[in-house]
Amino acid sequence: MKSFSLTASDTRGFSAPALVIGVAILAALFLFPSFVQSPYVLHMMILLFLSTIMGESWNIIGGYTGQYSVGHAAYFGAGAYGTLILLQKWEIAPWFGMWVGIAVALVLALVIGSICFRLRGPYFVLASIAVAEIVRLTVLNTPTVTNGAEGILLTDIPPFKIGATVITDFVSKVPFYYISLVLALLTIAVTWLVQHSKLGYCIQAIREDQDAAHSLGISLSFYKNVALAISATLTSLAGSFYAIYIKFIDPTTVLALDLSVQIVLIAIIGGIGTIYGPVVGSLVLVPLSEALRSNVIAQGLINSGIVREDSGIGIFLKEHLAHAHVLIYGILVVIVILFMPDGVLGFVKKMTKKSGTGD
Amino acid sequence: MTFNVLVQAIISGILVGGVYALIGIGLTIIFGVMRVINFAHGELMMVGMYMTYFLFTLAGIDPFVSIVITIPLMFIFGGILQKVFINRIIGTLPQNQILLTIGLGLIMSNSIMLAFTSDYKILTTSYSSASVSIAGISVSEPLTISFLITAVITAVLYWFLMKTDMGQAMRATSQDREAAQLMGINVQRMSILAFGLGASLAGTAGALISPTYYIFPQVGSAFTLKAFVIVVLGGMGSVIGATLGGIIIGVVESVGAVTISSDWKDVLVFTIFLLVLLVKPSGLMGKSRM
Amino acid sequence: MLKKIAVAATVLALAIPGAAQANKVKIGFINTITGAEAPIGENLTNGAMMAVEDLKKKGIDVDLVKEDDTGKPEKALSAFEKLATRDNVAGVVGPYTSACANAVASQADKYKVPQLVPAAAKEEITQKGYKYVFRLNAPADVYSSVMMDAILTLGKPQSIAYVYANTDFGISTVKTAQEYAKKLGIKEVANEKYQKGAPDFRSTLSKIKSLNPDLIFMVSYEVDAITLMRQSKEIGVTPKAFLGAGAGFTTAQFLAQKEISNLVFSSSQWTDDVNWPGAADFGKRYKAKFGKEPTYHAACAYEAMRIMAETAAAKGGDRDKTRDGLKSGSWKGIMGDVKFIDYEKFTNQNRHEMLVQQIQVGKYETVFPSKYATKKAIYPFAWK
Repeated sequence: MKSFSLTASDTRGFSAPALVIGVAILAALFLFPSFVQSPYVLHMMILLFLSTIMGESWNIIGGYTGQYSVGHAAYFGAGAYGTLILLQKWEIAPWFGMWVGIAVALVLALVIGSICFRLRGPYFVLASIAVAEIVRLTVLNTPTVTNGAEGILLTDIPPFKIGATVITDFVSKVPFYYISLVLALLTIAVTWLVQHSKLGYCIQAIREDQDAAHSLGISLSFYKNVALAISATLTSLAGSFYAIYIKFIDPTTVLALDLSVQIVLIAIIGGIGTIYGPVVGSLVLVPLSEALRSNVIAQGLINSGIVREDSGIGIFLKEHLAHAHVLIYGILVVIVILFMPDGVLGFVKKMTKKSGTGD
Repeated sequence: MTFNVLVQAIISGILVGGVYALIGIGLTIIFGVMRVINFAHGELMMVGMYMTYFLFTLAGIDPFVSIVITIPLMFIFGGILQKVFINRIIGTLPQNQILLTIGLGLIMSNSIMLAFTSDYKILTTSYSSASVSIAGISVSEPLTISFLITAVITAVLYWFLMKTDMGQAMRATSQDREAAQLMGINVQRMSILAFGLGASLAGTAGALISPTYYIFPQVGSAFTLKAFVIVVLGGMGSVIGATLGGIIIGVVESVGAVTISSDWKDVLVFTIFLLVLLVKPSGLMGKSRM
Repeated sequence: MLKKIAVAATVLALAIPGAAQANKVKIGFINTITGAEAPIGENLTNGAMMAVEDLKKKGIDVDLVKEDDTGKPEKALSAFEKLATRDNVAGVVGPYTSACANAVASQADKYKVPQLVPAAAKEEITQKGYKYVFRLNAPADVYSSVMMDAILTLGKPQSIAYVYANTDFGISTVKTAQEYAKKLGIKEVANEKYQKGAPDFRSTLSKIKSLNPDLIFMVSYEVDAITLMRQSKEIGVTPKAFLGAGAGFTTAQFLAQKEISNLVFSSSQWTDDVNWPGAADFGKRYKAKFGKEPTYHAACAYEAMRIMAETAAAKGGDRDKTRDGLKSGSWKGIMGDVKFIDYEKFTNQNRHEMLVQQIQVGKYETVFPSKYATKKAIYPFAWK
């Protein structure tokens, strides 16, 4: 898989131009809503940040520790359900409710870890799927607590106050934009910290060769569980955010296998085991999905004259391309696994190195 | 719950279990020979279902009869998939194999959805709801026929693996790929054979269940999960194990639905799955023995 | 003289387009266009389109903005938000499914956009006191009560078993059925929820068979309805009546399964046997245009679209005025008398009477209430 080497971009110190670009991007992101008011564009950015959060969180246990969990929806759902159950049943504000979500996610992580970490490779994958399905079915079948198949509809978010001043009452998308941006930056920062810590060293050693790591005295279960705990916490935060932003959750939207697979795809397609891989994955998948769904691509092909509007292909594209986004995910995964094992990010890095402008 | 209901549940469970077994056998052969965990197995079954549907509605061929066409077609399809895609990742990280097959599964189910929409398709034959009453127990006609066909196919498969040269070559490859290669066995060809076989078994299972179930692009994913439970329960790579596993799971589901409730029967199945993984991951029949 | 006529004609000709322009109105339509419930959703789309055509003939030009919720509430929410903020519609008709309609209803007051629900059953939708949410069809409690009332005219059932999909629609409809059955003193012997898309109900059905209920009350969307009845026949479950509380039991596909659909009762918001103005004609026109009989969903969507568009056009597309117009108005059309009133726990709910159909000899026959019935119900049930 990846060779464990330290390139210039992985070391602690940042080069000066990288730092300037980084600060410029951050500033642009924070100032963005002042210039762009369109709720639609803000919504797209929020989806981008959400996707980044989910991909980065998974990456810690999947990419860095090499334990491919295809059941991360369990933690996402824990956050979503924890937050909304408390809010709708006992009117506890989401910034407190989300801690309950995290607590539930951590308990799940501990249980899953103790059951599944002794299993290797593909068996771990299967076990993680089974546990996530058990969680989903349990939520589905305990309607007195979770509302079961009917799901939970969020009617009112309490305004966020500090003292007596109302900071926001969550009517526009702007507060959601900033919350998701901060969460995304948080997950990237945590990933960076993990990579440059002893924890990161140990989990990557586990990924490379579990037995060798063990013989070096690295406690396998301790480090795997810590990595999973961090991953679960961050994924749970993503779930809590999703719940108050989208305002409706049910077992099919926040606990399904489809969601777990999509979370994995973000990291794989972007570049597994790297800090910015999931960001790249989100940058590829989110706009692509929306462009397909809103028929921009089909319309573009027609407008540019490549396809005639009334031809068979034209009609087919207009009608159906909107539903093709999962198909594209599948195609991308196959391409990445076969030809770009380091993801789009790795591929781009290789290309830029080859053309002589590399680091 | 009366004795009658219990017996009814067991009988229904065994009959449905036959179909499950067929799916499981295909998956276990693929794993045994290639060590690939095929997450697209349910989608192969789904392709078989659509094939059966179109043969029935366009050419009027009865689903049980049309398997003579479906089996070779699916075999070729599986072989192509193996040669073009899966072959490139044999021997790489299992995680990558899983992701590749997940991707292929997504491509299959979504292409079918684009081509034929996600409308549910129902195949209605003259015997779709027919049953025979034996001692007060209702035995489903279509399920019984598919059970019998499954039994025949399993017997033929077993004979193939035990008594023919090619079958023995496949078993050798599954026991020890390198040794088999040293013995002059073309392991590449064995992989193509295994995947083709697995695909045709999955497709056949789809064909057999189509008179009683319904057909839509995402029907595969539920069956993929069940197939994994069956194969792990039976022992990865063991045909007998998959057969037993299929029937056991069929009965567990059916009896679970009447004793606990139909809500929780899937939880029961997954819990058994986890227990097997923890206590005896090599399953009932142990690993790598066909 | 001719010159005067010419001048008058010119003036009129110039004035009328202006008047016609005042009757142009933008309406949003959220429906399940793709996804598992799409075959039923198709009826709603067709009904709405027929309404738009008929309205055009009356001089009302409807700019219909269609949105697909794929049956998912979160998509319905974002579709509604788009219609409210980006498209600036005067009002929204839809969504179709209970879950989606309920989600949108929770936001209608926030955006102050009038919403007219055509066919969703969940009671809660008009029980929250929302000012901008109106519902044309009868809610879930009527689905159940009308069928049981029909059976009571035929016999004295003692026991009932429930088999239903573990979905919003299934759960809310059965809840109301349980309340009504209790009132009537009918004993509940089984309550079996199944996962949508389960392949095998055989053991559940044999359990129910052994309990021998007089009535079996089912709530399923399309394919489950067919699978349930097929396996019921296989197992030999024979109650005195099968009660299919929409929606899968009212579709053409279900009807076509002649082996298993015969003599099943279903409750419906509309059949072409009623004497409401234009009803029979609507059924004929729909069949001529689309090649198959409409389900009740088509009639609901037609009438909902007509009411929303006429009201919005009369109020110049103003949302608040349209809402007031919906609250105060009354209509008579293919769904009978329509008036949105507050009663019992409901707000802005049309007190619509439902009908019961039974499939006889491969056709839907209206059997209850007797003022609309074309045939007598066949009771008790027997497999052919």
